[in-house]
Parts: sequence; structure tokens; C-alpha cells
Amino acid sequence: MKVITVTLNPALDREFVIEDFHINELHRVAHYRDIMMSPGGKGINVSIALAKLGVQSIAIGILGGYVGRVLLAELSKLSPLISTSFVHIDQETRENISIIDPRNHTLTEINSPGPVVEKHALDLLLKRYEIFLSRAEMVVLSGSLPPNLHGDVYGVLAKTAKQRGKQVFMEVADQYIKLALQIQAPDIIKPDVREKSVVLGKELATLDDYVQAAIELVKMGCKMAVISYQIKSDIVATTDGVWLITTPLDIEISNLLGAGDAYMAAMVYKKFSSPNSDLLEVAKFGYAAALAKTKKLPKQMPEYDEIVGCLQDCQVEKLR
Amino acid sequence: MRVYDIMVRDVTAVTKDETVGNVLKIMSSQLLAGIPVVSEDMRVIGFASENDIIKAVVPSYFSLLQSTSFIPDMNQFLRNAILIKDKPISEYMTHPPIVVNENAMLVHVADIMIRHNTKAIPVVDDQGRLVGVVNRTNILKAAMEGAL
Repeated sequence: MKVITVTLNPALDREFVIEDFHINELHRVAHYRDIMMSPGGKGINVSIALAKLGVQSIAIGILGGYVGRVLLAELSKLSPLISTSFVHIDQETRENISIIDPRNHTLTEINSPGPVVEKHALDLLLKRYEIFLSRAEMVVLSGSLPPNLHGDVYGVLAKTAKQRGKQVFMEVADQYIKLALQIQAPDIIKPDVREKSVVLGKELATLDDYVQAAIELVKMGCKMAVISYQIKSDIVATTDGVWLITTPLDIEISNLLGAGDAYMAAMVYKKFSSPNSDLLEVAKFGYAAALAKTKKLPKQMPEYDEIVGCLQDCQVEKLR
Repeated sequence: MRVYDIMVRDVTAVTKDETVGNVLKIMSSQLLAGIPVVSEDMRVIGFASENDIIKAVVPSYFSLLQSTSFIPDMNQFLRNAILIKDKPISEYMTHPPIVVNENAMLVHVADIMIRHNTKAIPVVDDQGRLVGVVNRTNILKAAMEGAL
């Protein structure tokens, strides 16, 4: 149990592969292989990706109702390297729907808000989290929050982990970042900009906007900030400088699902397996994992050799 | 076959100061027949089962009776249930707990379950830290697959 992944708003992911998908039309899926059901939520996905890399993790969070039980049953089948301890509540865990169209290279995602989590459930989770911290070296905090929770929850979780000397990785949307960082900055942050290119309340349009946002996150206490730029590139900032990581390869957009989670897991793996690695090397390994992920089917996480194979396709350019 | 191969990798546990009421809520929401009690570093220090709590609530002569209709005062049961609700689970858990190492052979675990009439046993690593739980169904399934 080397890593704790926290998923406060897990989802049962339902994926449909539909050739030539159009709204306002009836689509019949011909094969069962084109309908997939899997445990999801960013933290859980990181646990799954870590297991592919041979790293033990414990997935914790909040699960609810019948959907929550299905999710747990599916998760427990995946790997002996994943342990679990979820707090169960009555309201149903959400379901997220993805429609993948390989012909038109589109990915349509519909994510539900998730259940309301009452204080006693959150308190119970925090109590368990503190116990599990005694056995973990790193913590991954990622994903959306249930509708009644705010970014301060991530701040409290990060602070509790840092007080015990653990490394904290965070991948969350901008709406949670400010509140979280006011309490505790993580070691590595990767703002989730899939929905909106906004970081610290500022709309990101030009390359300079991305660079400034990454620098600002480092100034706020993060050791490294990684921000996705124009889908296939990343801006990486540390106290030593700012870099652009990109690839000359074309990216298959419909395979992007889970690429961010593969990225996060690979950074954790790199930090874990080579603790003295340069932070830029950690980011580059994460980028290579995301690149490797885009060559695989939806939600299939890359193996170590596939990630290493993609390192040669990564180009790093120093910007500042 | 070893315990590691079949155990449930759910490490849900409580600390010894958790109230009996909360422990029951967790057991009910996660459909558990019992729950490990751990120290701050996840060493298993006890196990709280349905039986432990029932024993604390029903009159001590209950086990000698063939039917609950012989209990002269059902109110005693209800009074006891309310009385222990806010008490710490450490007062009612089984301790020292019966645990098995993750590398133990299933035959050995089956023997322990039969001898102690337990439904689930916490699984620990070499340091005595909780890594999972093995239950009767896991053992029976392995037996039916000829893997005991």
C-alpha cells in the first residue's frame, strides 16, 4: 500500500463505441464489446494505471447505493495491487457516459454531478485517511467533488498528508484549486483544464497565459505545475524554469479518455521508483504515459514498456 | 493456495474509540458481518462482529434458550442496545483477535474458521498490519474449485 488515491466523487463509467455518432438520432450498438462498464473517477483510474505499473495502492473515497456496490465489485476484480476502503452512503454514486466515435474521431462525455455527501461520511473518511497515511508514501487527490463539497476538502487532505511527510499529487479543476492551495499546496499540481482553460480564475488563451499560470502555481508553493496546452502539449514549471513538452506525432482524440490519469500515475511511479529524479524527468515520463495511452483503446492504461517506448517521441523545449 | 490469492482486499477498519453505534452503521452500509479494529499504524488489535454486539445486548442466559419467546423481558434487550450505542467498540470487540497471515495456507484458515465458528478473519502482513479480510464464501469457493 504505497500510494493512497482519493476519489470523493467516483463514477461507474459507461462507454459506448458508436461509429458515426450524431445527436438526435437512434443508434443501435451492434456488439457487446462496444459497450464497456468500468469503475471510474480520476483517483480510481490512477489506482488502475498504477497497478499496470506494478505499484500497490489503496483507493479510498465515497461510494453510494447500488451503483457504488457495482463499482466496488468491478474494481475488486481488476488487480491484487489495488486495496479499497470506501465510506458507503445511501445516495447513488454517479454514472458517467462517454460516446466514442472512431470514424469522426470524436469523444462526447456526459458526467453526472454525484450524490450529496453528509458531514459524518466525510469525517469518517478523514479518520480512515489518517490511519492509511501511516502506510503510504504518496497521496493522489484528483477529480471532481460532490456538489456540496468545496476545494477546502482537498486542502485539508493535502495538509494532513504533508504534516506526516507524504508527497501529494493533485489533479483538480480550477474551481477547487484556490481554496485548496490556501490551506496547503501539493508537491505536484496538474490543473484539470479539459472543460475550461481557466487556471486561478484566469482564462488561458496564449502560450504566455499558460506559462504565467504555471509560474503562479509554483509561487503558491507547488514544486511543479503541469498544464495541458493545445491538447497534445504541456507547460511544465518548477522553481528552475518553464518548459514545453510536445510531440511531433498526431494524437488520436477519441483515445484521450484516461490520458490525464495515466499521466498522473506515471509521475507517481517515476517519483516512487527514482526518488531523486529531476522534476522535469518526472513530467516527461508522465507525458510519455499519456502519449502511450492515446495509442490504446479507451481506459486501457499503458504498460511500462509502452511508456518507455514513447519517451523518444517527446520533445522538450525550455521556455524560461 | 494461499490467503493472498483469494482474500478480499478491502481494508475498511475502525479504531478502538469508535462507538458501537457507528460500527454498526458501517457494518450495515457495507454489508459486513464484522469489522477489524486497528491501531493508528493499522495493526489489527481486535475484531468486532455481529455476535460480539449481540452478546453485549441480550441477557447472558439467552444462549441457553431455544427460542426468543422465552425471554421474559424484551425491554431489557432494547435498554441494553440503547445503553451500549455510544460506548467505544473496544469494550465489546474480540481481543486479541484471530488473524491470519496473508501467506497462510487456505486449509489452515478453514480449520481456524471451523474451530472458532467465525464468518470472517482479518488478514495481516508480517508486521501484523491489515491487508484484507478472508470470509467463509472465499474459502468455500476455493474448495469447490479444488484449490484448497
